[in-house]
Amino acid sequence: MSSLLVALSLSIATLSGAFAPQQAGSAPLEPALEARVQRLGKQLRCATCQGLSIADSPASMARAQLDKVREMVSAGKSDDDIRAYFVARYGEWILLSPKPVGFNWLVWIGPALLLIFGFAVIIRQIRRTPSTAMRSGSPPVAAPAEDEYVRLVRSELEK
Amino acid sequence: MKWKITLALSAACAALVIVLAKGFGRDPHEVPFMLRGQPAPPFALKTLQSGEIVSLEKLRGKPVVLNFWSTWCGPCRAEHPVLDWAFREYGTQAHFLGAVFEDTEENALGYIGRAGSPYPQLVDPKSQMAVDYGVAGVPETYFIDAEGIIRDKFVGPISRGAFAAQMRSVMGPRASAELPK
Repeated sequence: MSSLLVALSLSIATLSGAFAPQQAGSAPLEPALEARVQRLGKQLRCATCQGLSIADSPASMARAQLDKVREMVSAGKSDDDIRAYFVARYGEWILLSPKPVGFNWLVWIGPALLLIFGFAVIIRQIRRTPSTAMRSGSPPVAAPAEDEYVRLVRSELEK
Repeated sequence: MKWKITLALSAACAALVIVLAKGFGRDPHEVPFMLRGQPAPPFALKTLQSGEIVSLEKLRGKPVVLNFWSTWCGPCRAEHPVLDWAFREYGTQAHFLGAVFEDTEENALGYIGRAGSPYPQLVDPKSQMAVDYGVAGVPETYFIDAEGIIRDKFVGPISRGAFAAQMRSVMGPRASAELPK
């Protein structure tokens, strides 16, 4: 029943023209240049999707943006020129990996710093535990005082 | 020694709170627009209705209202009557243009044949002009002043009130005094 409803909805949507018609994108360039187009496309965020690059998105906006990349690559523009073109229009938001400058450094080195900090805390705790125990003079946890009842049982058994 | 650790942890927590506040404080769907106050990218495109070439260069001297739309976009269709109204109100003070985004000429001609369009609709092959203008979806309406500077863009279906406010801004204080309220 549900599949029938889905099919019916899709048919109505198609007949009413409520869909983005598939546009012919630019033809792929020669393999080396097309690989560059795809690599650059994977670095640019799709404006209408969540967390997808323009190379991976089927959205019409992403297709138009990828066509722009293709046009610029075939015009001989450098990777930096192409990234700068998109940043000039959409800001650094368009870059899936933010440039390692200024505040962005936090994103790049933050996880490494947190790891180092975590290891430092663990090592500190490991080194500290025995010395603290010795300083306080308390008996080791592994050797608690023998219970009087256990001592009696043991001596009985030994007889 | 302990106060140093407390201080370091407090600083780390404060930094984390700032980063999270910055991240959660913005709408994840909002795409930044960097061309505000910048010269509008030039274009020379044919119109859907007559095939005549329209270039931005030739429109200097009057503000330009440029609306990106598609027939498959519901909010664009909802916005259409507002743009008709805007053309009647401001059509003598500004040039109005539509730009068909990621759609076929056949669909667009069919739609304006039914709904009408009092101003030229541009054919934007492969939506390259839309990318040049930093469009992030449709509908979007750009307000370009008489000197060819993008004053602002309105994202989504525009209302009469928002359109009037944008026109006052793009016309400047003296000229906007003559505009209809």
